[in-house]
Amino acid sequence: MMENTVLIVDDEAIVRESIGDWLKDAGYGVATAESGEEALELIAKRDFSVMVLDIRLPGLTGLSVLKEVKAQRPWIQSIIITAYPSEETTAEAKKLGAIDYLIKPLAPDDLEQLIRETIDSMGREPTVKAVTEVMPKPAVEKVIEVGKSFVLTRDSLRLLVEGLAGEMEVVGVKSRQGKYVFDTLDSFDELCLDYDVTVMPPTKYLLPAKDTLFRFTVGYDSKVIPVVEAVPRALVGVHPYDIKAIELLDVAFLSTNTDPNYNARRQKTVIIGVDCLHPSPNSFSPSMGTRLADTGFDLLLTDIGGEFMVEIGSERGAELLSRYAEVRQPSGDEIARQKAVRDEALSRYQLSLDVPKEQLPKLLEEGYDDPYWETKSESCLSCGSCVMVCPTCFCFDVEDELALDLRGGERFRRSDGCVLVDFARVATGENFRYDRASRLRHRILRKGKYIMERYGKVGCVGCGRCVTACLADIASPLEAFNAIAESARAKEAAARLVREAKAETELYTPHLAQLVKVTSLTAAEKMFEFRFKDGSELGHRPGQFVEVSILGLGEAPISISSSPTRNGSFQLAVRNVGNVTRRLHTMKKGAYVGIRGPFGNGFPLDDLEGKDVLLIAGGIGLFPLRSLIQYILNRRESFGRVILLFGARSPAERLFVDELDAWRQRPDVEFYETVDRGDQDWKGNVGVITTLIPGITIDPKNTMAAVVGPPIMYRFVIGELKKKDLADENIILSLERRMKCGVGKCGHCQINGVYVCLEGPVFTLDRLRHLREAV
Amino acid sequence: MKPKIAFFDFTGCEGCQLDALNLDGDEILALLGAVDIVNFREVMTERKDNYDIAFIEGSITRQSEIARLQKIRERAKVLVALGACACIGGINCLKNHVPMEEALRAVYGEAAQYYDTIPARPADAVVPVDYYVRGCPPVHSELAKVIKALLVGRKPDIPNYPVCVECKMAGNICVFERGMYCLGPVTRAGCGAICVTSGRVCWGCRGLVDDPNLNSQKDILKKYGLTPDQIIEKFKIYDTCTEVIK
Repeated sequence: MMENTVLIVDDEAIVRESIGDWLKDAGYGVATAESGEEALELIAKRDFSVMVLDIRLPGLTGLSVLKEVKAQRPWIQSIIITAYPSEETTAEAKKLGAIDYLIKPLAPDDLEQLIRETIDSMGREPTVKAVTEVMPKPAVEKVIEVGKSFVLTRDSLRLLVEGLAGEMEVVGVKSRQGKYVFDTLDSFDELCLDYDVTVMPPTKYLLPAKDTLFRFTVGYDSKVIPVVEAVPRALVGVHPYDIKAIELLDVAFLSTNTDPNYNARRQKTVIIGVDCLHPSPNSFSPSMGTRLADTGFDLLLTDIGGEFMVEIGSERGAELLSRYAEVRQPSGDEIARQKAVRDEALSRYQLSLDVPKEQLPKLLEEGYDDPYWETKSESCLSCGSCVMVCPTCFCFDVEDELALDLRGGERFRRSDGCVLVDFARVATGENFRYDRASRLRHRILRKGKYIMERYGKVGCVGCGRCVTACLADIASPLEAFNAIAESARAKEAAARLVREAKAETELYTPHLAQLVKVTSLTAAEKMFEFRFKDGSELGHRPGQFVEVSILGLGEAPISISSSPTRNGSFQLAVRNVGNVTRRLHTMKKGAYVGIRGPFGNGFPLDDLEGKDVLLIAGGIGLFPLRSLIQYILNRRESFGRVILLFGARSPAERLFVDELDAWRQRPDVEFYETVDRGDQDWKGNVGVITTLIPGITIDPKNTMAAVVGPPIMYRFVIGELKKKDLADENIILSLERRMKCGVGKCGHCQINGVYVCLEGPVFTLDRLRHLREAV
Repeated sequence: MKPKIAFFDFTGCEGCQLDALNLDGDEILALLGAVDIVNFREVMTERKDNYDIAFIEGSITRQSEIARLQKIRERAKVLVALGACACIGGINCLKNHVPMEEALRAVYGEAAQYYDTIPARPADAVVPVDYYVRGCPPVHSELAKVIKALLVGRKPDIPNYPVCVECKMAGNICVFERGMYCLGPVTRAGCGAICVTSGRVCWGCRGLVDDPNLNSQKDILKKYGLTPDQIIEKFKIYDTCTEVIK
């Protein structure tokens, strides 16, 4: 058994050496490279089973190496290692076929186990060299017949192509000016079988740009002599999408009114296809069902790395192959590799149709009057590039050419296209498709609808040539199909919204709640405890608010002061300040009010949990913050330090005096309090609330601060917190706004584009930095 | 009776007449069998003022040429503009971008006072033109095509689509894809994209198609990195710019 060799690519010598040593000890062959470039050089020279690849390399990046290796040696299994994992690179590496992703520093056992599993799962001699050496010539007699697949070496392919050249013109894909073209092959070495797309499609060999139909003489003895010019020709290297295009032409030209010129060429044309393994970035052939071909070719090649699988598509293909080339039965392994390279190729396509192609005719019918056509056609040059490069475009014009002696001449056809301005113009001057929009639409509808309906085959094979050729970037059928589909979806969604709408009949209707307790807090503030008449719970989160409704007076948004952890009732602390609150202040136990809500987001409890919490309330900012304080104290074990800062304007305006004392007494609460102005009885701190902050120490990495108070307070408190190195996302503020409807409709509470009643009133500071109206 | 054909040269390099001689021998003989050439300065010395079809070569750049062209128009049954100068003004129009006195001085120096000049213009700016054989120089097959069409009394099939069509048919790789710029997308085809096919770019010598999308062409040139001034310079060469700058 051949030794399995692992290639280690890492710019750090220590990593290369240590991994190398472990693997050598475990019995693997080891090669190392310190850069992507060196790795690719090594890979070009010899084969490896597994590559261990650092993603961060100087020069060529790990991802580029991966891409290249997947293209050149798709069977090499790659394991990515990195010290800096990120989701993007992980996803990208997986997309490029990396089988796993390890984070440095590595444990030797993990790596070794992964490599062992990887090699075991490959289940074969992993190197190409090994395969060719150990594969004996197949003992079974091979029968070359339609539908069978064989392995063809590059040398055998050469024999085939050179053999064909002896009996017919051989046209193949050649490289020209950095692009690929179909052209007559002067030697096998010119042939490129790994190409993205050719500039012009091979269909030009069946429908040349100029094609003489007949020659004639004029006068009393006028004659018409049909001209059918066709030479035996092989087209080598035709991609499946072009094979599908030729199949469409076959139906169009041969099924009815059989075209003699097309027929003659078609009969004399041998088609040798090749799977497209590195598609053009503009191609979307998988969406059009033309990525692979199972019919339409005489032979079809797949490059499986150094050798080819060849599938026999016709008797003629079988005959030519057995006449000129040596083939052998493929091993199970080689069959698996063909599947693997095709799958790899599939993953390289970047574009796709948003709907099944079968839906296109209907969608395009419905999108006939879509503004898309008008908009896109504004920049259409009517230059015809899109139709000229299209493998499924076959329209033509017919013209007479007289000889100069005027006694005879020829009638010929030449390529024409429906986007050209005079395509539908008649002798009277009438042009039936006079505007660019109608021509552009006609072309797309031909591709997505008319051809499909008429011939039962896709009218666009997704080769992407027109996309590349269009200077104005408007030719893409895919873009048109997707735009029309999107437009249909948008229409349907709008209609469905209205059709399926179910009114929330109680959206604006208050629910009756009974006042069960009134507590006076200060001269202007009282706390009201409510219970719903029907016994239901409010079900709120700390930091949310309700709309309190008194019929005849209106509604007022009031924050909830109690924690949901205290069941049954809910408390609203209210300052006597407006119509609704003034009436509320006169109410006695047993009275009823209306309640809507709870509304808003509340404090981010998940973010607070497990952290040290710094709670800062200024004045009646304590009303909403109290709900959070109660919540935290009820679940005290779920939080770290609890630091509570409270500031009032004067001792008389202190709120929840008993609770303040209780908090102060608790050993698990660090409580600080101040008043702006003291009086003779006040023995505590005097000064604005910001003066409390410098005296406390916090761990900025593990502390969340929740701040509620008047707007002026925020600016200064934020300033002090920033001095403590607290990050913006660790600072939470609750904002007051005019919340009228509570359900994100009336618009009063908006801060820039944000509805405070929906996305607020609680915001982190980093969110507010982007809201210029906020603080 | 065979129709009589006459060639007249105005301001130009006479390359169009020369190129007409590049019809191959058989074609010339066939042509001579079908028509009488009565006036062709590049070829023969005798001249007759009796003709049916007049080919006008060159643009009109002097006052005296206006009267001469009007006289030809009166005599000819059919008048054909031959080449870029006669069809669209051609490169003579480059001088229209400077004051005429300056142009005269630049060409004739001290002797400028002995010459007159007017802004260059195509034949159809002076007299009605029946047919156009476009290009700098024209493709002789197109010249033959127009002559044949005249002889059998039909309209010649001159393409009204851009050069791109023929360029694609020729299998060329788009010059924009090769980092160059081209006026092909708005220039009338008929030349077989000969310039691009032989490794150059299209300068628009055949003039614009009937319905050119100039805004889009300008956007494309801009997208590929040209400044507005450079774009105007591109269009200026054969004076398609008078239409473009508008």
